[in-house]
Parts: sequence; C-alpha cells; structure tokens
Amino acid sequence: MNWLFYSLFLFPLLVSGLILLFPKRINQGLIIATALILSTISLYLYGSVKEAVSIQVPELVNFLVAGIDILLLLYFGYVAIKHRHLLVGILSILQLAGAIYVLTIAPHHSTAQFYIDRLSLMMFLLINIVSGVIAVFAIRYIDEENCSEYKKKFFLSVIMWFIGVMNMIVSADNLEYFFLFFELTTLASFLLIGFRNDETSVRNALNALWMNQIGGLAILGAIVYAIFTPEYEQLTFSGLLSNVSNTGLLLPFALLAVAALIKGAQMPFSSWLLGAMVAPTPVSALLHSSTMVKIAPFVILRISPAIKDTNVATVIMLLTGFVFLVAAISALSQDTFKRILAYSTISLLGLMCMLAAAGTETAIMAALMLVIFHGISKCMLFLNAGIIEHVYHYKQTSQMDRLGELGPFTALAVAIGFMSLLLPPFGGFIGKWFSIESIGSSLPTFKLTGALIIAAIAIGGAVMALLYFKVTGVLFSRSGEQEVIRFEKTHPLYQSSIYILLFLIIGGMLALPVLLPSFFAPIASTITQVSISSVFKGGSLYINNLSLPIIPMLIAFLVLPVTIILSLFIHFKGVDRVKEYTCGEKVDYRFSSLYFSTEKAMPFYIVVGGIFFVALVFVGGML
Amino acid sequence: MNTTLIAIIFVIVAPVLGGLIYGIERKIKARMQQRIGPPILQPFYDFFKLAQKRTFIVHSTHAFLGIMHFVSLWFALAVLIFGGDFILVIYLHLLSTALLIIAGYSTRSVFSHLGANRLAITALAYEPVLILIAVSLYMVTGSFNISSISTLEEPLIVKMPLAFVALLLVLPIKLKKSPFDIAEAHQEITGGAEIEYSGIFFEFLYTAKWLDYIFAYALVYLFVASNFFLAITVLILTFLFINALDNSTARVDYKQMLKFIFWTALPAALLNLLWVTL
Amino acid sequence: MELKLYRKKSPWILHYNAGSCNGCDIEILACLSPKYDVERFGMINTGNPKQSDILLITGPVTKRSRERLVEIYSQMPEPKVVICCGSCASTGGVFRDMYNIEGGVDQVIPVDVYVPGCACRPEQIIDGVVAALEILEKKTKAIEKPLRYANEVKDENDQINRRTMPGTIPTK
Repeated sequence: MNWLFYSLFLFPLLVSGLILLFPKRINQGLIIATALILSTISLYLYGSVKEAVSIQVPELVNFLVAGIDILLLLYFGYVAIKHRHLLVGILSILQLAGAIYVLTIAPHHSTAQFYIDRLSLMMFLLINIVSGVIAVFAIRYIDEENCSEYKKKFFLSVIMWFIGVMNMIVSADNLEYFFLFFELTTLASFLLIGFRNDETSVRNALNALWMNQIGGLAILGAIVYAIFTPEYEQLTFSGLLSNVSNTGLLLPFALLAVAALIKGAQMPFSSWLLGAMVAPTPVSALLHSSTMVKIAPFVILRISPAIKDTNVATVIMLLTGFVFLVAAISALSQDTFKRILAYSTISLLGLMCMLAAAGTETAIMAALMLVIFHGISKCMLFLNAGIIEHVYHYKQTSQMDRLGELGPFTALAVAIGFMSLLLPPFGGFIGKWFSIESIGSSLPTFKLTGALIIAAIAIGGAVMALLYFKVTGVLFSRSGEQEVIRFEKTHPLYQSSIYILLFLIIGGMLALPVLLPSFFAPIASTITQVSISSVFKGGSLYINNLSLPIIPMLIAFLVLPVTIILSLFIHFKGVDRVKEYTCGEKVDYRFSSLYFSTEKAMPFYIVVGGIFFVALVFVGGML
Repeated sequence: MNTTLIAIIFVIVAPVLGGLIYGIERKIKARMQQRIGPPILQPFYDFFKLAQKRTFIVHSTHAFLGIMHFVSLWFALAVLIFGGDFILVIYLHLLSTALLIIAGYSTRSVFSHLGANRLAITALAYEPVLILIAVSLYMVTGSFNISSISTLEEPLIVKMPLAFVALLLVLPIKLKKSPFDIAEAHQEITGGAEIEYSGIFFEFLYTAKWLDYIFAYALVYLFVASNFFLAITVLILTFLFINALDNSTARVDYKQMLKFIFWTALPAALLNLLWVTL
Repeated sequence: MELKLYRKKSPWILHYNAGSCNGCDIEILACLSPKYDVERFGMINTGNPKQSDILLITGPVTKRSRERLVEIYSQMPEPKVVICCGSCASTGGVFRDMYNIEGGVDQVIPVDVYVPGCACRPEQIIDGVVAALEILEKKTKAIEKPLRYANEVKDENDQINRRTMPGTIPTK
C-alpha cells in the first residue's frame, strides 16, 4: 500500500521533471494522463484505506530534507539580494538561523514522518482531482500566453510539482518535514506569481514571499518551543496532539495556527493572495481552490482537538469571524472579476477556519463541506474567469454585460458557481447553514464569542449575497432581441474541464444525503475522536442534533439549478414581444449596478487583524 | 394528522388570504387618509382583469424567472407553515428573492436594474436580523425547527421582546412599505424589478406580493403563537402599526435604510440573543 | 366572458404629459386626493405602460414628445383606452398651429374620450374615465396601431378631424 502513497508524492515530481524535457505534444498527453492517474489513485486510496497509516521513511531522507531546507532558504536569501528586498533578506536570515538551530538541537527519534488519516485522504481527493483539472486547463491556457516555449513548459512543470508538494504537506506528521513542505509551497507560489516577470508581478511575488516566510518562522518557533518542552516527546503533529493534555501548553499550536492563517491570507496578510491575481489564471485557480490556501483549514482541523474550548480557539474564531465579515465588505468595492473572487475566497477561508477552531462535530463537518465544495466551486469560477479573459477579453465585471449574449454557457457556469456558494440546495449553502446551526447550538459554551460570531456570519453572509447577486446580474443581462440561446463552443480542453467541475458541483449536491453520513461524518469523527450519529428519520437526515430535510432540498434543487438552466431554453409561444420600458426614449442602455467604496476602511481592517494575530500568540503564550 | 391537514389547506389558500389582507390594507390606508378607498375584493378584481389583458414579454427567460419567483416563494412559505427549519426558511426566501433579482437584471431595462439593485440591498438589510432571531429562537426552544414553538408554555414575545421590536422594524422592508419601500418605489422607479411584466406574467408577481404578506405576518405570529387572543391582538396591532407607518412617513434612500437597520434592528436582535444566551 | 366585468372594476392609469402647462396634471393629481378619491373605483396611477389600461394624456403633442407618446402607447397591452385631458390634448388648444406642435393627441394615436376644459376639472376627468370604462368593456384584444391614418380626410391645416369620423366616439 505504501508505494501508492509514495507514488502520490513522487509521481507528480517526476512528471514535472519530464515536462521540461519533452516536447509540447507529448506534454499534453502526459499531463492529462497524470491527472487521471493521480485522481484514480486518490479515489482508490480513499476507498481502500480504512485505518490511519503511519509511514516511516529511510534515515537518508532526513538528511535530504535537511539539505533541501538549507538550499531553499539560501535561495530565498539569493532572491532577496537579487531584488534588493530587505524584508525578505532579514526573514531568510532569521529562518536560516532558526532552521540550522533546529537541525542541530532536534532530538532524533525514529518516528514516522508521514501520518495519513481520513482527513489527509480527503485532501488528496480535493488536491488531485481539482488540481488535475486545473493542470489540464492550463495546457491550453498557457499556450495562448505570450511567452517563450521553455517558460510555458516551466509553468506546467511548477504546477505538477506544486501538486506533489501539496500531497506531501497534507500527510506530513513530522514538523520539520512540515516546515520544508510549507516553504516549498511558498517557493511555488513565489515562482508562479512572478511568472510574468514584470514589475507588478515581481513586487507581488516578493510580497507573497515575505508574508509566507513569517509563517515559516512561526512554524520554526513552534518546533523550538516543542523541543524545549520535555513533555512533548516527538516533534510530530500526533505527538503534540496526544501530549497536549499533559502539558496544557498551547504556544506551539498558536504558532502553527498563525502559520496556517497566514497561508490562508487572513487579514492583515490578505494582500499576498490579492496580489496573486497578476499571474496567469490557472495559478489563481490553483492557489485559491484546492492547494495553497486550503492549508489553513487543514492545519486548524488537525490541531482543533488540542485548541478546542481554549482561549486560542476563541481568538482564532474572533479573528476569522472578523475576516469573514470585512473581506465580504471589501469585495463590494471591487470591480475586477478576479479580485471579487479573491476577496470571497479570503472571506470563506475565514469561515472554514472559524468552524475548524470551534471544534464541535457538526462545526467540523461544516468546515469539511466548505473545504470541498468551496474548492470545486471556486476552481470553476477561476477557470471561467480565465476563459472570460482569454476568449472574450473582459476583466471588469461592469464590462461583462455582453457575456450573456456572446458566451451564454460561460455566463451560466459562473452564475451556477456563485449560486453554489450561497443558495440552497448546493453544498456551499449546506456548509453555511450547518455553520450557523452548529455555532448556534454551541452558544451555551461559546456565550459572547458565539453570539458575536453568529452576528458576523449573518451579516457577512448577507453582504456576500449582495456581492454575488451584483455579479450574477451582469451575466444574465441581455436584450430582448436574442430569443434563442445557443451555447458557444470553446476549446475542448476548456470545455471539458468546466464540464467536469459542473458535474462535480451538481453531482456533489445530489449525492449530499449520502455523502454527509458516509463521507463527511467519518472524517469529522476521526478528527474529533467522537462518533457522529446520522440517521434517516421521517424524510430528514439527522446528524447529531441537526436535521437536513430531504424533501425541501429536492424541491429547492428543482427550483434553483433546474430553473436557471431551463430559463435559458424555455420559449413562450403566442406571446407578444415588446421593448424594454425606457419612458419612451430610445437609449442604448446596457447595465447598471451599485458600487460601494469600502476601500477606505482597509487600513483599519489591517490594524485590527494585526492585533488579533498578536493576541493569538500572546494568548497561546499565556497558557 | 389534523394539524397537517390544516397546514396543507392553509398553504393552498395562502394566496387568497394574502389577497384579502392586501384588500383590507388598501381600505384601511384609505380610511386613515379620510378617503373611501377601494372595495376589499379590489386585489381580486385586479387579478381577473390582468388575466384577460394581452400579454407582452421582453424575453422568455425574464418571464419564466418571474413565474419561478412566485413558485419558490410559495414553497418557502409552505416550509414555514409546516414548521420546518427556520434558517432553511430564511434561505429559501432568499432564493425566491434571488430569482426575482436575476429576473430584474435579465432585461436591459433601467428601472428593472435599479429595482434589482435595491432588492439586493433590502435583502442585505433584513436577512441578518432574521438569522439572529432564528438563533435566539434556538436558544429559547432548543431547536431550529419552527414547530418547536408549540412546546413553549408562554409566548415567545416574553422571552424575545427586543427581537420582536427588530422584526417590527424590518417588516416594512419585507412588505415594501414606506419608509423602506425603496425596492418598489412606484413614484420613483415605477415598481422596480417588476416593471417589465405585464398581463398573465405580471399576475405571478402581483400574487407573490400577497404571499409576502402571509410570510411576514406568519413571522409575527411565531412570537405570539401559544395564546390565541394575544395572537389576534398583536397581529392586528402590527397590521395597524405598519399601515400607520406607511401613511405617515416618506421614503428614505437605501443608505439611510441600511444605517437605520444596522444601528437599531440589528443591535436589538443581537442584544436579545445575548440576553437569552447569557 | 364574465371576466370582462372586472375590466371596469380595476382601471389602472398611466398619465403622460405630452407638453402641457401642468394645469391639467395638477387636476389629475387632485383626483387622487381625499376629496375625489378615484381609488374607490379601483384606479391606480401605475406610471408603467405595461400594466395600465387607461392612458391619460395632457397637453398638445409637441414634435419632441410625439415619438415617446407613440412608443408608450404601443407598449400598453390591449384592451386599452386613451383619454385626452384638457383642450390642448383634445385639439391643440391655444397651441394649435404652432411651429413645434403636432396638434391634438388624435393626430398621433387613436383617442377614445375627449375631456374638455382649460384646465379640465377633476369631476370632468372622473366622468371621462367612467365613459372610457364603458368603451374599455367593449374592446377586444386585437392590436391597435398608433399610426396616423393615411387615407383620412384632412382639413386645411393638415389636421385629421377625427370627431367627424364615424365610430371613433361611441354613440350613446
């Protein structure tokens, strides 16, 4: 069995090397085949692995890891010198010193370096399937990009390599390994964001680099602290988790949470994810949906048993609740389509981390649902943003008012993507619904924090609804002249990737009554170590104390997705067509929407977010 | 079984009942202005008249979304009356609003777009308040199901007076009454999102408005459900309050509305939540 | 059809000012006031042609407003009636033969009821609407075209005299 895990880790790395060597034609087939193989392996693993698996790698790998660590940090130092970036330089020196210090003093136990439980298996599914689709999409997308052949290959190569690293990070148990993989994802994002190599790209890439380096430092801090605490025998997640009850020391967890939240682009560290927009769209799709930012909820889910019901969890929940609200509000002022998506990612990541930190069984389930469904929906939205940019040449939402006429299929896919994050009966909605009900039902324990968070979720959710309606509205706008709608044909690679993701969204929604008890509940119970009861009774699915009525959900399915699709194709006969009412004037009117200027408050958000981050470390240290 | 039957009948007659409420309301409003006012059955006369007008549509998508707005609103109301999950009811209602908003945007019509924008804003104003009320309801009854109210001994309003005040403040938004009738604003944007409908297709939106009455007053009824006489009194008083408010105030703009709701209704609902929690 | 009865009971009004001095407009708004209260007949001033039955027009049709008037008229679903409120809307009034005036409303769209007066009194307007409702009941769903009749007899001022045409005004 272990060789399958190894293949998940190493096969993408191998392919990424091969891509650089092979010509373009072979690469195409190679990437599609790799995506298929990786998806199949992850599916097979999810089906066959029932118990958590620990993998111990040979001693040699430890040295390899240490070597790559040093090399990587030296490279960061080189980047700092090359671009004359002081902050990156200081942080790399600090990191290098910390890493060498850790390597010299760390006790060497022969423990397992990888630990794969159901959570990791779920992340495998998300990473390999969704990123596979993105890789396939990227073949065509990068082909249309204006750059040299070698750079195109390099781009695809980094994407495959990124997938491999992500597979490793979600199964890493050893903290030193985790640190390396964390830094490797930082490197990947640095390379991908700086891909276009113009001034803004480089600036944003360096921005992303130093922010994530702080995360790396936080991990190093957690490791050092754990080394000097004799109760923590092993420098592994499982070791920390199993010993936390003896020590009651939470600082390592607080530091890990800081690292995770920086990766998850929570304020004040949100600007690196927003800056990632300058890269080609598949990069944004990769960073936002299945890989990079999902490290945040993943790590918090991992450590949630340790921080549950502590002040650390309270601070994390307040921070993420705050971010959920203000990121949604900030998105209202944006007009660039990808920036709107980026803010909504930050906002929803806040929600996921909040639920993971809350740590009750249903909250964890809600977080898992959001991780999966947000990954799929956001990926589809970003790929569509790429299509809109490359095929229709629109970047601003206010320009896209013709899209409903030119590219009805793209418009429909975007609309469904937005709806799936918001409205019943989609998975994203169920996640949000569960989040309100699970936080609500644990109000007796959370008290004031819980009430504030509920208010944040309620207002943030409504703000996000306003945002999504604003964007969806543009896509549906079309004049009365065009009565018959024909779906446009884009490149087969584009089309097939969108179809796969649409299928996943709609299929996931229909299969939800089955997925909840058989997929999400077991994962949540492995995290919380408490078994979750799920029974069908009287047309409702009861999960602990929450109930999911099936019949309203089915009717809602008929009302929303079916209606939206049907509305494009229905044709009323025997009814007169008339022009729009414009007070009798003849005007060439296209679209109007409300615009809000909420940018002024951004410094305030950053300061408050910063205070929360400091408070997180402080609270962790106090206990 | 008996209650189920009553619920089914109630759901079926809901549009008719809503029409009656609308008729009474027009009469009462007229009387408040010392006018005679239209007959109580006036909404139904309008209904029959609209049925035999020639029908115009802009395009089929727009017309169909209008029909589905009515259907989904009826469905949300049915879930509410059958005592379903409160949060689900709120989001199903949002779904029906969403269909109307998309319908509003789907034509190239100025007023339609303005109305859709404003509808989205109004949804932003009342939805958080309703969710906070739903969570307070959970704290009181221990369940998100609306049917759990029947287990209470004393009416909900005793435990949640501030939430009731918050509901009273957002009801004018829901019912598109002055001072918060910005989404419809007949004198300003001539009906907003419903402007491009006519004939049979307008009938669905007209009837959806009646359903909204039932939806809103059903929310009020939740607070006083356990005592019949109290329920009747409070419903009538609410009805009079909303109409008096409608008659005596001028329309505010959407920013003023948001500010007002976020500084009054929302803190009230939050305070109530804290009160029942702590 | 029995349903035809209800046309009379819910006339929704669209009010259009084709170039009036606002005298008649004020009178129309006075109809809505508590003293006259046309809402007791179920009338609503909708302001939206797509949902109205009665088009109330004030003022002579200026050359600028003509196309708007035709556009709005054609957006009203049949059955519909048109009422001219005031002398100017009926005949052009004191503005007749001016360089920027097309004449009365009947030069542009078919008119069913003429309400005289400068300005017309609210009682007269209500009377006119009641007369219009009689006509509305007899009308069908057939499309009414807002075109100027080509083969109609014009007088010396290039104006159509529709009052002499048979059938345009119901003979009581």
